[in-house]
Amino acid sequence: MTPTPTVFVDSDVIISSLLSQAGAAYLLLHQKNIKLFISNLSLRESGMVADKLNIPKDKFDNLVQKRVHMVKLKETPKELKIKYKNYVLDLNDAHIVAGSILAKVNFLISYNIRDFKVDKIKTDLGIICLTPGEFLQYLRSL
Amino acid sequence: MNLTQDQRVYTPEQVANLLQLSKKTVYDLISRGEIIAKRVGKVYRIPTSSLSFVFTGLDFDLYQADKEDRKQLGKIERALSKMRSKL
Repeated sequence: MTPTPTVFVDSDVIISSLLSQAGAAYLLLHQKNIKLFISNLSLRESGMVADKLNIPKDKFDNLVQKRVHMVKLKETPKELKIKYKNYVLDLNDAHIVAGSILAKVNFLISYNIRDFKVDKIKTDLGIICLTPGEFLQYLRSL
Repeated sequence: MNLTQDQRVYTPEQVANLLQLSKKTVYDLISRGEIIAKRVGKVYRIPTSSLSFVFTGLDFDLYQADKEDRKQLGKIERALSKMRSKL
């Protein structure tokens, strides 16, 4: 039996899933048989973005409560930038890598793959970076 | 490549070459509905959308779902980038 894939979801995917029900992000967030994670920092930033984009708070809260598990990063964003600088091209994305490691996931799903050093993340951490569509395609191959 | 606007069609033989399959396998896939083809008289023609995976790495429905998200991605990334710089 194939083990349940574990997935850290970047905030752009969370927000995309709330803006369109026809998109790959929505399909991903509503997949069964996968375990989805975010971190306390990505929860905070995606909450702020949802607010800025006028996504109803109850819609956001409902998704987070029902569909994702949360891991709590103890370091500050500044500490995370120093610790994980070798895994990202944009230092502001370091907490996403940190969250993925803490959650011990197999996959990091983002629409912003270009800002992650995907080969290094795969080699050093054993985490595969994919877009939502690519991950859904992978699920079909199981 | 915009698959929804691509008007090209392929013969089963061309598809066999593209997918590195035998012609027989392509006909089997057509008869099982895994490759959607149009029968024109005695021959088949296969639209580009049926070959989405070959061109995009995604099945056609996932390709469309990906495209749907990308319509709003610009504003999401801009807002997110601003928030992240404040964390």
